[in-house]
Formats: sequence, C-alpha cells, structure tokens
Amino acid sequence: MTEMLCGYTDRDETIVAFLYDELDAGRRRDFNAHLLTCTVCRDEVAGLRGVRTQLARWEPPSVISRQSSVASHSRQSWWRTIPAWAQVAAALLFFGVSAGVANLEIRYDQNGVSIRTGWSNGSRGPGGPGASDRSGVSSEVRSAKVGQGLNTAVGPAADAPWRSDLAALEQQLKAELRAAQTGAGAAQTVRAASSSDAETLRRVRVMLDESEKRQQRELALRVAEVVRDVNAQRQVDLRNIDHTLGIVRNDLGVEVMKQRQSLNLLYRASQRQ
Amino acid sequence: MSIEAVSRPSPHMTWTDEELVAKSIRGDAESFNELVLRWERPIYALAYRTIGREEDARDVCQETFLRAFRALPGFRGQAKFSSWLYRIALNLCRDWIRRERRTPVVQPPEDVDLLELAAASEPSESIEDLVARQDLSRVVERAMALLPEEQRTAIVLKEFHGLTFQEIADLVGCPLSTIKTRLYQGLTVLRRELAKNPTTKGTML
Repeated sequence: MTEMLCGYTDRDETIVAFLYDELDAGRRRDFNAHLLTCTVCRDEVAGLRGVRTQLARWEPPSVISRQSSVASHSRQSWWRTIPAWAQVAAALLFFGVSAGVANLEIRYDQNGVSIRTGWSNGSRGPGGPGASDRSGVSSEVRSAKVGQGLNTAVGPAADAPWRSDLAALEQQLKAELRAAQTGAGAAQTVRAASSSDAETLRRVRVMLDESEKRQQRELALRVAEVVRDVNAQRQVDLRNIDHTLGIVRNDLGVEVMKQRQSLNLLYRASQRQ
Repeated sequence: MSIEAVSRPSPHMTWTDEELVAKSIRGDAESFNELVLRWERPIYALAYRTIGREEDARDVCQETFLRAFRALPGFRGQAKFSSWLYRIALNLCRDWIRRERRTPVVQPPEDVDLLELAAASEPSESIEDLVARQDLSRVVERAMALLPEEQRTAIVLKEFHGLTFQEIADLVGCPLSTIKTRLYQGLTVLRRELAKNPTTKGTML
C-alpha cells in the first residue's frame, strides 16, 4: 500500500482530478512533471487506475423484464389466442361460402387450376350443349383460370360452352325464319319479320355480353378476396410456427447451458480434490 | 413500470429532456413516457449500486418517477432534468438506507438465475468467461458495499454516470473539495480491498 511520503500540494484532490481528467491544462502539466520524479504518486495513480478498471466490471443485474414479455403477450390480438385448427376451419368455411356465392366450379388438371362460375346448366347431356336440350340459353357464361402462384388473371376461355349454345339458338331462329318465309305470308311481311328477329338476336347478344362482363368483375373481386384471406392466414400460421420454433430453441439453449454449468461445477470440484 | 432498455422508434426520441418536460407539463403523457424510457435504466443502475438490492432498487426507481411526475408542474428548469431526477433518486436511496439501518447488502452468488445469466452473456462469450465476469462483478460489488454511503455515492455518480465534480457537489449539497476527498478515500479503500481478493489481485498494483 502507498505510504504518505510525498508533500505535493493538495495531493489527494489533485490525484483524483488527474485520474478523472478534470485538471486544467497548467496543473495537469505540473502534475505530469511531478509524476516523472515521484514514484509514490506514480504508483498510486497506477493503482487507482486499476481500481477504475475493476469498477467498470461491476454490472447491475441484467433486468430482462418478465413484465415486458407478459405485456407483449397480453397485447397479442384476440385472433392469436384462437387455436390454429379453428383458424384453418374458419378460412375453409369462408372459402366455401365465397365459392357458393359465386357458384364456383373448381377443376385441377394439367392446365392448372380452373375456376368457372355462373348459373349451372345441369341438364347438359354428354353430347355437348344443345345436343339434346334446346329449351334455353346456356347460362354458364364465362370461366376464369387461376395459374400457379395464385395468379388471378381472368378471361373467357376460347371454348366456352355458351358460345355453342348461342350458335344453336341462332340456327334455330334462322330455321324458324326460313319456315316463315316459305309460308303463306306476304313477302313484305316476311322481310319485316326477318328484320325484327335480327334486331332481337342483336339485343340478346348485347345482354349476354353485358352479363359476361359483370360476372367477370364479380369473380375477379371474389377470387382476389379469397386469395388475400388465404395469404393472411398463411402469414399468421408462419408467424405461429416461427414463434413455436423460437420457444423450442430457447428451451434447448437453456438445457445445454445448464448441462455445461453442471459440467463446469463438476470439473471445478474435481480440480479441488 | 418495467425496467428495461427500450429502443423503440418514437417521434419523441429526438426531443431534448427539457422539451419533453415542457410538453409533459402541458399534459402530454407520451412525452413523460419517453422521459421514463430514457432515464429508467440509469436511475435503476444508480439505485442498485447505491443500495445493492435488486428489488428495492426497482422500487426506488418506480418511486423516483412517480415523485417526478407529481412534482413536474413545479419543475422550473433551474437544474437539468437529469440532475433533478438523480436528486430525487438519491434522496430515496438515503431514506432507504436510514430506514433499513444497514449497509448495502450484496446478494449471494446462489441467487444467480441461469436464464438471466444466459441473457446477460455476449454472443461470443463462453460460459466460463461469463461466470468469471459475474465473479469479478460480485467482488467489486462486495468491496463497494464496505464504503460509507457518501463515498459510495460519489464514486457511483462519477464512475458510472459521468457527472463532473461540480455536478456531484451540487447534487449532494457539499463543497467541491469534499467530493474530491470522498472520491480519493473511497478509491483508496477499494484498492486495498480488491488487492486482497485473488480474483482481482493480479490486476491491482
């Protein structure tokens, strides 16, 4: 321990101020010059610097607040507390209802996923539309294809069955017109009737076109909604899986640490013996 | 009130303490929250190093902010907000020491919680290094517990909170030279005590 063998003025206060760099430039220069000649002060300054080094290692307990984790759990959204199976069931139910509303028909073949909507035409025979049932216009007016990666591009297929139904209707109307032309009516009347039927046919086509466009819009909207909800559910499930994996990793880490700690203690105990 | 280092982004983060104080006085609770987030860790550390008990240090920290909140309308900016907060915390620490009529208690090593120990470790630190670091910390803690309250407070404020001699003198209400003397005496006792311990002996001159 340092013995008091130095008579430097205000020695203790000067050493402390020197240690914490609170000496003005002039006094600092003086004391530095003194240190070159005084081993007592030099040793003491070095010793007190060592104390400061040790003090830097004094850490308050690391407070990893359990309150914060409790608070973060309590802040979780209500839906995070619903079991995963219930969330999946809800998503499927929503998808089913959406499909029902849109009267969706979903097929999966080599061309990818195909979704078709519209009023169903259950009476269509194996011979194709119009082969056996000519009583009405096919109401299956449009189809949409959803490619891989949930691509929601929507558009009428080239072989849509409603086109053949429409062609059959056109042929039927023409046949009736021809029959009327060969009948007993006046030529003038026949020309007038022909003109009127052509106008009717044009109107039917316009109405069908408008109906098709409206349904395309509705289907695009519903498919987008379904895709969005499925994606949202997927994100939730991924987060849940991440969270669970994190807990498992933490548990494993703690177990490993406990074992290492035990081994260390055993090793130290064996060293002492 | 949780005691944790929080680093969340907030629009209040760029404002000075004094601006946040002014907004708090006008009734902006979010500004006071930001002050708490900013200062709870230093205040907790000050309380812990002064009284040496984790739970009581938390209580002191909470009480400090509670008193600060109540007294905020009377704060006129005569001193820095941090100095004002330190003064409240130090007064509470003194009250605690007088009430308990004992020197700070160093918690026994058996209290070490593996979970907290693991949480305190650096990513690249081995368990052996971590235990050694904790041992060193406890040795220093025990040596500090031997100091009289005045010397301990001066060392804590200087060493861990970076206050100037003058700031400490203003805070505890005594002359500048007294603070320097307390520091010198406290450091000298620590030097002697740390030299006795095999864990720290090698690094002491």
